[in-house]
Amino acid sequence: MLLPTKNSTNCPIGFQNDFYHEVVGKTKFLTLKCTGKQTNSSRARSKSVDRTKFRFCACTGPRKNNKKSAKWYVKQPTWRLWGEEKADGALYTVYLKKVRYHRPTRSLSSSHSDSDDEISHLEWETVRVRFVKAGTLKKLVEALSTDDGELETTYINVFLATYRSFSTAKEVLKLLLERYEELTETPQNNGRPPETHEQHKKTLISALHVWLDSYPEDFKEPPNYSALGLLLNFAEDFLPNTELEAKVRHRIDRYSREAHIDPLLTPPPAFAMRSIALSGWRNFKLPDVPVRYFAEQLTRMDVDLFKKLVPHQCLGAVWSRRDRSRSHEAATVLATVNQFNAVSFRVISSILVEVGLRVHDRASLIMCWIDIAQELRLIKNFSSLKAIISGLQSNPIYRLQKTWQTIPKEKIEMFDELARIFSEDNNQWTQRELLMKEGTAKFADTVGENDKQLQKIFQRQNNHTANISFGTIPYLGTFLTDLTMIDTAIPDIIGDGLINFDKRRKEFEVLAQIKLLQGAANAYHFIEDPAFDRWFDSILVLDDREAYQLSCQIEPPTNNGQNGKNRKKSMPGHQKNDSITSTSSSNSSQFYCDIDSITSSPRNSIDRKMSPSQMSHSSSNSSLPSLDISLNSSHSGSATNRLQVPLPNNSGTLSNNSQKSSPDFYIIKVTYETENPETEGIVLYKSIMLSNNERTPQVIRNAMYKLSLEGNPDQYTLAQVLPEKEMILPPNANVYYAVNTAHNLNFILRQKKLEDGTTTAGRGFKKSKS
Amino acid sequence: MRAMTKPPTDNLPTVKLVVVGDGGVGKSAITIQFFQKLFVTDYDPTIEDSYMQHVEVDGQWCMLDVLDTAGQEEFSAMREQYMRKGDGFLLVYSVTDKNSYENIIHFHTQILRVKDRDTYPMLLVANKVDLVHLRKVTEEQGRELAHKLGIPYIETSAKDPPLNIDATFHEVVRIIRNQPQNDNDKRRKKQGCAKCVMI
Repeated sequence: MLLPTKNSTNCPIGFQNDFYHEVVGKTKFLTLKCTGKQTNSSRARSKSVDRTKFRFCACTGPRKNNKKSAKWYVKQPTWRLWGEEKADGALYTVYLKKVRYHRPTRSLSSSHSDSDDEISHLEWETVRVRFVKAGTLKKLVEALSTDDGELETTYINVFLATYRSFSTAKEVLKLLLERYEELTETPQNNGRPPETHEQHKKTLISALHVWLDSYPEDFKEPPNYSALGLLLNFAEDFLPNTELEAKVRHRIDRYSREAHIDPLLTPPPAFAMRSIALSGWRNFKLPDVPVRYFAEQLTRMDVDLFKKLVPHQCLGAVWSRRDRSRSHEAATVLATVNQFNAVSFRVISSILVEVGLRVHDRASLIMCWIDIAQELRLIKNFSSLKAIISGLQSNPIYRLQKTWQTIPKEKIEMFDELARIFSEDNNQWTQRELLMKEGTAKFADTVGENDKQLQKIFQRQNNHTANISFGTIPYLGTFLTDLTMIDTAIPDIIGDGLINFDKRRKEFEVLAQIKLLQGAANAYHFIEDPAFDRWFDSILVLDDREAYQLSCQIEPPTNNGQNGKNRKKSMPGHQKNDSITSTSSSNSSQFYCDIDSITSSPRNSIDRKMSPSQMSHSSSNSSLPSLDISLNSSHSGSATNRLQVPLPNNSGTLSNNSQKSSPDFYIIKVTYETENPETEGIVLYKSIMLSNNERTPQVIRNAMYKLSLEGNPDQYTLAQVLPEKEMILPPNANVYYAVNTAHNLNFILRQKKLEDGTTTAGRGFKKSKS
Repeated sequence: MRAMTKPPTDNLPTVKLVVVGDGGVGKSAITIQFFQKLFVTDYDPTIEDSYMQHVEVDGQWCMLDVLDTAGQEEFSAMREQYMRKGDGFLLVYSVTDKNSYENIIHFHTQILRVKDRDTYPMLLVANKVDLVHLRKVTEEQGRELAHKLGIPYIETSAKDPPLNIDATFHEVVRIIRNQPQNDNDKRRKKQGCAKCVMI
């Protein structure tokens, strides 16, 4: 029996493949059978479905002895949907399964082939199989052991991976134990033979073991560990001196020991290393970096996070329905997302931040990222690959036409080929196919029809490194969307308040893919390099507004050139609005269109200031500030959180060049002075952009945002660190003009102190400086 | 599955719509409600044509291709990448969530910036109007924002019975059709995919 315990991730790839095909294929197959719908996506998987039929039958079929004897094979039963069956508190889908038995011919492997002549000496019978479609929680728990008292792998896997969306660990545990007790108290139940009865009990205990092994975190609830306590009482009463009792006891001991060492209180070692190793290490500077090595290090970061990912946190009910108070429930997903953004933002800022670079030098930065992306493709790290592609396709980079024009054609082709992997066309078909093909393959070798450059690379790879083996890091976003859509499309409850378990089967198809890839990710072995981490953390991160500003400084907007031509042809604004009104009024009165006020309203700063007719004549200088104003005003609004995902700690420095060549703003470093003894001595600073119209409260607000501080900006002060002293900025100064540019633009943000404050201002700062 | 509609066969103009808005505003519900007619009993989010449908708007057929990245809102770095692909946008907020309403302006700004245009086909969608008791953003505020952005406004509910779901998608198609023609966009599209024909 194949059970996906934690250990299964260490198994060889072949095993995972089988497991994967089994679970995915099985659920998929059943779904297809349910609806009789042949879809395009099933095309790609038909092979796995065929195999599944065989496996499926082999583990649930009535002729178990035949399977064991290895003399007879069960092959490709035909399934027919018989109908639905209602029972007390449950709804079943019933199939008639025609099972054929046939003698193996030449070899074991040949039984997988589809040739018909093998089925010469067949025997067959029809059996009736039912699957839980929906049920009360009690029924779903009972179904952990099948009608025959068997442990059905798929069912328990689906159940354990998804039950959190309709119940809690404790509730399920209670029902499971109650069920066992009930079976114990009424030994001769429903006229079933006593063996089956015992088998049911045994299966429930197996289910408990699987649960404990595969989801240990479900039982880790300090300080009382009440679920484990419950389980221990049960084991002592019903199964004293068994493996279960020992396991539970050991688990309680271990957890309570671990609880004394709270990992949150000690900084992670990697973090400490980074801050200590400030000098004496080799420094990386783009574009002269070893690109393969960079790809490997990025992958190392992703592998760590991906292996820690808890798949059920991706479920729509958890991830997409979470609110602020419950965001910890999806912490491992969020960590992956943050890393993705961190890579993208570093791509963007590394290309932009030195405003004064020559076109050629900036182009080589872009090329360097394309080279890293190419290596990521070979390593099969689709997460960072997409992050780099997204960064290069983000507006501030994408619009640098002059820069892109100097990049050689082959490099551009490579970029296009890599970008095509993530094409949204046909519901991300390319990416899905690729993941299917390479998910558990040893190395990358799939090329699209028009991928000239990639083909060359793969050939070179195969010539050089015959024995390499990589896992796969997927781009998680596609899974998250699929799970969100499933959650939206399929109801949680059907019939008379029954839990829709078919929905959970559907979700499990996605979770099983994630789990499989997590297992495959064990094939990666890249050693952590603090120098790389330091480089990674040192890159300044810009928000989208800042990036756009820089980009416009490098290449001013060319509205007049490119789009002006089109605008000449375009209809005057009021005609366009007329047509909206005419169509909408004929169909629906819901649509809002107030032509007169739109064209005359002075508040329409964004659109109306740049009406087509004005636009074609306005200079780039006049259009940019108007955009800036609107951006700034929206930025200072109360809700910017969702647009800019906070980045991991410790993003920081920038090169000096950026300051001298950019007259419209400075980039300043802001350190937050904390009283937290844990971080004392570690300099954490964030770089923020300071433009020439920002006053103290706004700058403090920006700094707080970057430093992930919440609260009222009025309660903070900002001071520039000068060699002799600190200069505290007046409450409403124009900071741009107030700063002393003769010295480094280092600032300290600190909370205003009350008279009875225990710590004096400046203490932490002095320490960190020494 | 496409037999349900009877569009003129090949070479329909493809219209790409992108649904944007904060997480939790019900984007996915709007998309699913619109497409669910095709997937009556079963729904598979991984199928190639999950989010494609022929529609007839004002007597003209077209192929609607909807990109809804619900669940990926926090991959903020890739937002501009998919914005570039859209011919028209649904800017969705929930009337029960003031933040989502206030964030609309960011999406609007970002789209214009990515498109390098001063206007672009967009529709402001106030969703979840069925939740009357939880409503935090009034119709007036919604219209005011639409007014400010210079785009039309519609109120929707994806709960059964749905309100204005089809109307929303159809309206964006109208807005796209009625926009001033843009030569550059047209040219770029022909390079991108052969099946796209501009109206």
